[in-house]
Amino acid sequence: MTALPDQVLFLWLSPAFPVGSFAYSHGLEWAIASGAIENDQDLHDWIQTLLTHGAGRNDLVLLAAGWQAMQKGNESLVEDINQLSIALSASRERHLETVSQGNAFIKAIQDAWPSPNLPQLVDRIQDLSYPVSVAIATYAHGLTLKPVLAHFVMSYVSNLLSAATRLSLIGQTQGQKLLNVLMPLMQNLVEEALESSLEDLGGFSLCADIASMQHETQYSRMFRS
Amino acid sequence: MSAPICLSDTQAQPVGNVPHHARARGELKAEFAAIGLHTRIGRVYEAGGLRLRYPKTQIGCEAVIINTGGGIIGGDQSHMSFEAGPRSHVILTTQAAEKVYRAQSQDKIDQAQINVDLILRADSCLEWLPQETILFQGSSLKRNLNVHMEALSSLTLLETTLFGRLAMGETDVQCDFRDRWRIYRQGALIFADDIRLQTKDSHILDRKAAGSGTRAMATLLYIAQDSEQRCEAVRTHLHLQTCLWGVSAWNGFLLIRLVSAQPDLLRRSIVDLLRHMRGCEAPRVWN
Repeated sequence: MTALPDQVLFLWLSPAFPVGSFAYSHGLEWAIASGAIENDQDLHDWIQTLLTHGAGRNDLVLLAAGWQAMQKGNESLVEDINQLSIALSASRERHLETVSQGNAFIKAIQDAWPSPNLPQLVDRIQDLSYPVSVAIATYAHGLTLKPVLAHFVMSYVSNLLSAATRLSLIGQTQGQKLLNVLMPLMQNLVEEALESSLEDLGGFSLCADIASMQHETQYSRMFRS
Repeated sequence: MSAPICLSDTQAQPVGNVPHHARARGELKAEFAAIGLHTRIGRVYEAGGLRLRYPKTQIGCEAVIINTGGGIIGGDQSHMSFEAGPRSHVILTTQAAEKVYRAQSQDKIDQAQINVDLILRADSCLEWLPQETILFQGSSLKRNLNVHMEALSSLTLLETTLFGRLAMGETDVQCDFRDRWRIYRQGALIFADDIRLQTKDSHILDRKAAGSGTRAMATLLYIAQDSEQRCEAVRTHLHLQTCLWGVSAWNGFLLIRLVSAQPDLLRRSIVDLLRHMRGCEAPRVWN
């Protein structure tokens, strides 16, 4: 691989990488349709909660644990973390969201960015969660953990903001403003995740979980979650 | 606090205001077996302040867990393990709502711990239907629920948690609460849930993506052959309820979340939901 690490992360965690991230709203579509999110302040509050008490934080903890298990060369631990990551899905659609992106991510890496360091388990395991597939690929390509976490959390937030933009809740500039405001929190989360273990998993994003459940039967929808 | 057990003098170091030896260590172990068409209690082990009692029931074997201490304080530890033998039907519940009192500090030593292990042998049915857990202002509780299911067994898991005593003015309770569920089916982890609230999480109960004003939450997990088929009927049933709810089914199980600002409304919804799910009333001690 001749690209610089920053370039690689920029590409792999960009909306253009073929994992279909544009198709998932993480329950936002229902939250907006139901009136739980009415404006940019509500959206800010919602995303902040996902980052401190939801999948935003948990996925960073799981990514860090997966990357560190790769570093130890402990494939069975990577498998366990993957299983836990998938089992923590909050609903049918959130399960789809993590597994379909995880599987698509590792396939795109194998096809376009192959590495002899990719572990055998990627061929053996049926489903990979998104954070664990990113952990596996980035470790195999020799990328250091901290920038991986930083790009991962930014892509998570950008994707939510992009969904909110397409749902006409906010404009693109408002989205950028929110991204700017949320930067310090994202940086804190990255630092915390570097020091975390699986014991630190957990959250309280009950209404976001319920939103993703309710989304299953939403009458008119653009997103798969 | 339930009956203390004696430790040697060297272990009995005072911690804060309550000496270490005064913290409860409760243990319950019970095995249930199918005998003909009935389920009977087999081996039972009771220690500390925990007891089991078996009221007569129409179906299965019902066991009521009694915490003779009448509540849980920081540092208390209880360990419960229940095994449903092949083809047995076991219903587990609690005598009353469990009160978790203010802990002396937020240190680990002052954290109460409840560990529950459930084992479901082939073709068995186990229902875990405790009444509410009430988290008082300043309480600290870590609960671990581990379930191992063999082939064709079916499970209903319910936990209801109330945040603060509203009637006592505890409207913005701060507590340390962790609830960790790990469910294994034939050795594979299929469902995990991690609830984590910390005292520093100010107003999280009111944040829209978190609790949206909730003071009571319930999670019900149903794992059986027909879990995915029942999703639609459960959804139709829940449409009549006043609390905020969500239901979803995947990978052979059904997950229901309910939250409400009013604990009494939530309880009513749960009683209705149990009637719908089980085709019979909630255990009699619930009344």
